[in-house]
Amino acid sequence: MRTFLQQIAALLFCLLQFTMMKILLVEDNPELTQNILQYLTQEGILCETATTCFEAEDRLLGYAYDCVLLDLMLPDGNGLNLLRLIKDRGMKSSVLIISAKDALDDKLKGLDLGADDYLPKPFHLAELLARLRAIYRRSKLGGSDEISFGEILIRTQSLEVFVHDKVLDLTKKEFDLLVFLIVNKNKVISKQSIASHLWGDYTDDMANFDFVYQHIKNLRKKICAAGGKDYLSTVYGLGYKFDENAS
Amino acid sequence: MRLLNLFTAIYLLLTLGALVLGGFFIYLKLESEIEFEVGMELNEQIDAYAARIRSGVDPKALENEKLEIQYLPFHLDEEELIIRDTLAYHEPVNRIEKQLKASKSFKINGKHYRISYFNLVIEAEDITETVVYIMLLVLLVQLLVIGFFFRRIANRILLPFQKTLARIHSFSFQKDKPLGFEKSKILEFNQLNEFLERMSIKLLRDYRQIKEFSENISHEIQTPSAVVRGKLEHLMNQEITEEQAHLIHSAYQSNEKIQRIVKSLSLLAKLENDEFEAPVPIQLDLLIRRNLEHLQELMQLRELRLEIDLKTDYTVPMHPYIAEVMINNLLSNAIKHNKQQGWIMILLQDGKLEILNSGQRLSKNPEDLMARFQKESSHPDSVGLGLAIVHQICKTYGFQFSYSNKEQVHHTVVTFR
Repeated sequence: MRTFLQQIAALLFCLLQFTMMKILLVEDNPELTQNILQYLTQEGILCETATTCFEAEDRLLGYAYDCVLLDLMLPDGNGLNLLRLIKDRGMKSSVLIISAKDALDDKLKGLDLGADDYLPKPFHLAELLARLRAIYRRSKLGGSDEISFGEILIRTQSLEVFVHDKVLDLTKKEFDLLVFLIVNKNKVISKQSIASHLWGDYTDDMANFDFVYQHIKNLRKKICAAGGKDYLSTVYGLGYKFDENAS
Repeated sequence: MRLLNLFTAIYLLLTLGALVLGGFFIYLKLESEIEFEVGMELNEQIDAYAARIRSGVDPKALENEKLEIQYLPFHLDEEELIIRDTLAYHEPVNRIEKQLKASKSFKINGKHYRISYFNLVIEAEDITETVVYIMLLVLLVQLLVIGFFFRRIANRILLPFQKTLARIHSFSFQKDKPLGFEKSKILEFNQLNEFLERMSIKLLRDYRQIKEFSENISHEIQTPSAVVRGKLEHLMNQEITEEQAHLIHSAYQSNEKIQRIVKSLSLLAKLENDEFEAPVPIQLDLLIRRNLEHLQELMQLRELRLEIDLKTDYTVPMHPYIAEVMINNLLSNAIKHNKQQGWIMILLQDGKLEILNSGQRLSKNPEDLMARFQKESSHPDSVGLGLAIVHQICKTYGFQFSYSNKEQVHHTVVTFR
C-alpha cells in the first residue's frame, strides 16, 4: 500500500515538472533490466521492455517512445539495426545506446548513425538517469529547459542557477554536480557515481574521493550562503543525497 | 638501398670492370701489334737499304735524315734487329721528337755496316690511342643502352615481388581480409605468395579468436558486476543502519575495483593483440592541455604547482583513444603519487615527453612498477595497471618508456623515436 502511494506521489510530482517520459528499454539481461526498471520507475518514468530485436521492433511500430535505451548485443542481432530502423522510419524517439562493448568503433558508428548518446556498461544508474533527462531536455523543443527544486531554479541552457531569485556563482563542475544531484534527488548517490559523472575515466584508480567531498562542500556553502535550505546530506560514507525533506 | 638499384649498380660495376680490363688488353695488344708491324716495316726498309749497298750503291749516297749508317769493326758478329726509343731531330716540325730507331748490322763486301732507320713514334702512339678511344666510346654507349634496357627488364621481372610487398604493407587486422595474390610465372614468387596467403589467414583467425575471447570475458564479468552495483545502489536507498552502510560501502568499493581491473586488463589484451591500428597524427600539446584542464581541480585540491613547456605542432602517429589513455594515465599518476603542495613539471620536445613530479621515495624498483599489479601506494583502490598500460602502449608503437625515482622526484620519460 505504502509503495503504491509513494509511486503515485512520485508520478504526480514528476507530472508537475515534466510531461511523463515513456521509454523503451531494449536489454536481454533480466537482472540489469530489473535494476534499471526499478530505478527509472521510481523517478516517474514509464518503462517498457524488450529482450530481443524482434520484440523491440514490434513495440516501436506500435508507439513513439520519447527515448529508446538500446543495448547492442542482443540475442537475435545487433542493436544498431534497430537504430537504423528508427532513423529510416523517421521515428521521433531519441536513442541512448547502452553497450558492454565499449569499443570506440561501435561508439563512433552509433553516433554516426544518429544515436543521441552512448553510455558504456557498466554504468551508474544515477548516470543513466542524468543522461536520459539531458537527452529529453534537448529533444523537447519549446519545452522547459528549467529544473526547479524548491527555491532552486536551474536554467540548463544558459547555465544559470538561482536561489530565491539570487544568482549563484558556480564553477562548471559545481553546476554539473548540482544538476546531477537534483535529477537524482532523494536517492543516495555513491561517490564513485559523482566522480564518474564529473570527471569520467580520469577518476579511474583514484585512491580516494576527497575531491568529491570538496565539491560537495563548496556547493553546499554556496547554496546556504544564498539562503537556500541544506538539502545535501552525507549518507554514512556511502555517498550523498539531495533530500527534499531536509530542514 | 633498393633492390633494382643494387642490380643496376652490380651490372654497371661488372661491365665497367670488364670494359676496363678489356680496354687494357686491347690497348696492349694493339700497341704490340703496331709495334710488330712497324718493326716489320723498319726491318724491310733496312733490308732494302742493305740490298742496295750490296748491289753496289755507295752508302754515302743513301744517307737521309731517316737513315743512319755506322761502320763497325768487322770481327764483331752481325747484330740482330734492335728497336729502341730515341730522341732525334725531325725536320718538318723543326724540333727534337721521340722516335723509334731500328738498327741491324750487315757484313757486306768486307765492310760491317750498322744500318739504323728512324720512324716517328707519334704515328704509332696516335694510331693506338685513337683506335682504343673509339672502341671504348662504342663500348660505353653499348653499356648505357644495355644498362637502360637491363633496368627496365629487371623492373618488369621484379614487378610481382613489388606487388607482394605493397599488399603486405597495406595488410591490417582491422580490414579482416587475408592476403591474395595473382599467379606469377616465377616459381619463387609463387612460393612466397602462397606462404603469405596461408600465413595471413592463420593470423587473422588467431587475431579474431583472441579479440572475441577477451571481449567475451570482459562482457561476462562486467555483466554480473553491473548487476551487483545496481543492487547495492538500491540497497543504499533502503533504511539502513550505520554498520550496514559500512558493509555496503565495502562491498561496493570492491565491486568497483573489479570493474576497473577488468577494464584495464581488457585494454591491455587489446593492445597486445594489435587491435588499435590506423594511427592518426596526434598533436600532443593540445592533448596534454585538454587533459590538464580536466584534472585542474584535482591538482588544485592537492595544491600542486604546475610548470609546462610544450612544443606546439609536434605530432605523433597514434590511435586517438590510446593517445588519450596514455596521457591520462601519465598525468593521473603524477597527481596521484604526489604530495600536498607538491609540483609537477611537463616537458614536451621534439621526440620526447618528460614528466617530473614531487612525491615519496619509491620503496619498489621503478622498473618493477611497470609490471602488472605492482603498486607503490598502499592505497587499496589503486589497481596497479596504469603504468603497465603505458608500458604496453609504448611497446606497441616502438616508443621507449622509462620511470625513475631519485631523491623523491619521480621522472617518467616517453621517447617517441
